[in-house]
Amino acid sequence: MNRRTFVFTGGAALLAACGKAPGKTRLALNWKPDPQFGGFYAAPYQAHGLDVEILPGGAGTPTIQMVGAGSAEFGVVSADELVVARSQGNDVVALFAVFQQNPQGIMVHASRKLTSLADLLKSGGTLAIQRGLPYARLLEKQYGFGKVKVVPSPGGDISAFLADKNFAQQCFIVSEPLTAKHQGADVQVFPVSDTGYNPYTTVLATSDDYLRQNPDRAKAMVAAVREGWRAYLDDPKPTNQRMNQLNPSMAPEVFAEVADAQKPLIEIAGTPLGSMTKERWEMLIAQLKELGDIQKAPSAADCFRNL
Amino acid sequence: MIRRAIPALIPLVVVTAAAELAVRYGLVKSYLLPAPSSVLRALIESRGELFGALLTTSTSALVGFLLSTAIGIAIAVFLSSSRAIQRAFYPYAVFFQTVPIIAIAPLLVIWFGYGMRTVVASAFVVSIFPVIANTLSGILSTEPALRDLFRLYGASTFTTLWKLRFPAALPQILTGLRVASGLAVIGAIVGEFIGGQGLGSVVDVARTQQRVDKVFAAVLLASVLGLALFGLINLVSYVTLRRWHASEQ
Repeated sequence: MNRRTFVFTGGAALLAACGKAPGKTRLALNWKPDPQFGGFYAAPYQAHGLDVEILPGGAGTPTIQMVGAGSAEFGVVSADELVVARSQGNDVVALFAVFQQNPQGIMVHASRKLTSLADLLKSGGTLAIQRGLPYARLLEKQYGFGKVKVVPSPGGDISAFLADKNFAQQCFIVSEPLTAKHQGADVQVFPVSDTGYNPYTTVLATSDDYLRQNPDRAKAMVAAVREGWRAYLDDPKPTNQRMNQLNPSMAPEVFAEVADAQKPLIEIAGTPLGSMTKERWEMLIAQLKELGDIQKAPSAADCFRNL
Repeated sequence: MIRRAIPALIPLVVVTAAAELAVRYGLVKSYLLPAPSSVLRALIESRGELFGALLTTSTSALVGFLLSTAIGIAIAVFLSSSRAIQRAFYPYAVFFQTVPIIAIAPLLVIWFGYGMRTVVASAFVVSIFPVIANTLSGILSTEPALRDLFRLYGASTFTTLWKLRFPAALPQILTGLRVASGLAVIGAIVGEFIGGQGLGSVVDVARTQQRVDKVFAAVLLASVLGLALFGLINLVSYVTLRRWHASEQ
């Protein structure tokens, strides 16, 4: 979820300086508790001998730096930011990929009758997108931003979208569009994966150092998270209630709808939950290299472990 | 001139050297704090983009600051006209000091649209309060003896304001402006995060790309802008106060 992952270094340094309760394992999220983290909240950590403290995040939570700096043992990051981090010497490694399919997309008003991302970028209007994101530059490279007015992404806020029929905005395809529908908008969504850019997203990661020093704990963490996701996919209700208490800004029925809508992006037939392949990482690394996001390419095998 | 600059340069050199060494020797990870040399490199590599952004931010910050100055002083003069008016309106001026600009910034976009107007509004909102507060306090603390003298000669309210109260308040007004100038730069950059241009936008993009060096390069330029505004006010202060006020003699 890299649109939300503003990398703010000072914050990471500051957090690194803060203490923590002994014995606790910290898991830093890069957004507020919502269904994309359902399995993390449902996970039976104690049954695996872990005492996990989940740290909810927000716009700008620099989880990748927090993990690198050791201010959280585990963090939720996206695959592309992990590759960029590794290329800069922040050695973070992916352990479990929740979203096998990139959940990022661009939402538009259906009344515009657009047929594709290319069509959108030709047709003018306003596009709210985080320009620093690799896929934003991929879109710019493929189709050009000359015809649209590009403005910063308002995060999860959709008020500008609702107010302007020619406003398009980056989104989680299973999240903001549902909220917009609830507010009466007729929404159409173009997944970013249409462009061929399909990084793993909502990825559980830790640092190389932590993995080396605590291989058993890392293994236990992954096992707990996998069980948590299995449980959440089967019955999201109890976990949704808990998360809803922590994040009342999202309506209970939206929690249920999102949990349902995200299933096909998470569970792919023939792929064990959370597991990753070297080919996908290699492809991502090649794409980031071509976009100029990384100077030197990290080895794909170093980027992830299927524990 | 050079001799006067030396004390200010010592901390700069010491801190820069310490940061450089800390990163070089691996005490601090470069993705948490960039080495000053890599910040300099980013500054040179992206100079076109960065200086273009600096110009945009400077314009917005300056416009916001000038609006704060003009409107802030006007509000303070209005408030100073009577105790009753002060009691009625001053508490609302405090609103400007406490408004969490991050929280209302998305609304600014809806009210003013994307681009410069939102940025100027943000710079204005965060920088007006110190102008109001300092100007008001300056106007209200005119020496009673001088006020009596003006009354004795039958000076009008306007004359008293223009020839006595306002000049007497200048040192305090300028203090308010010094504070406001830094806030205007901060307000402009926060506005740019949301409104999308200038240094704020560069910082936003660079931190998404984990380019800590570029973030710092942009922050450095923002502080140069703040320093320039500060210097400008000091110049005004010197020109207007040097003949009569202890602070500039």
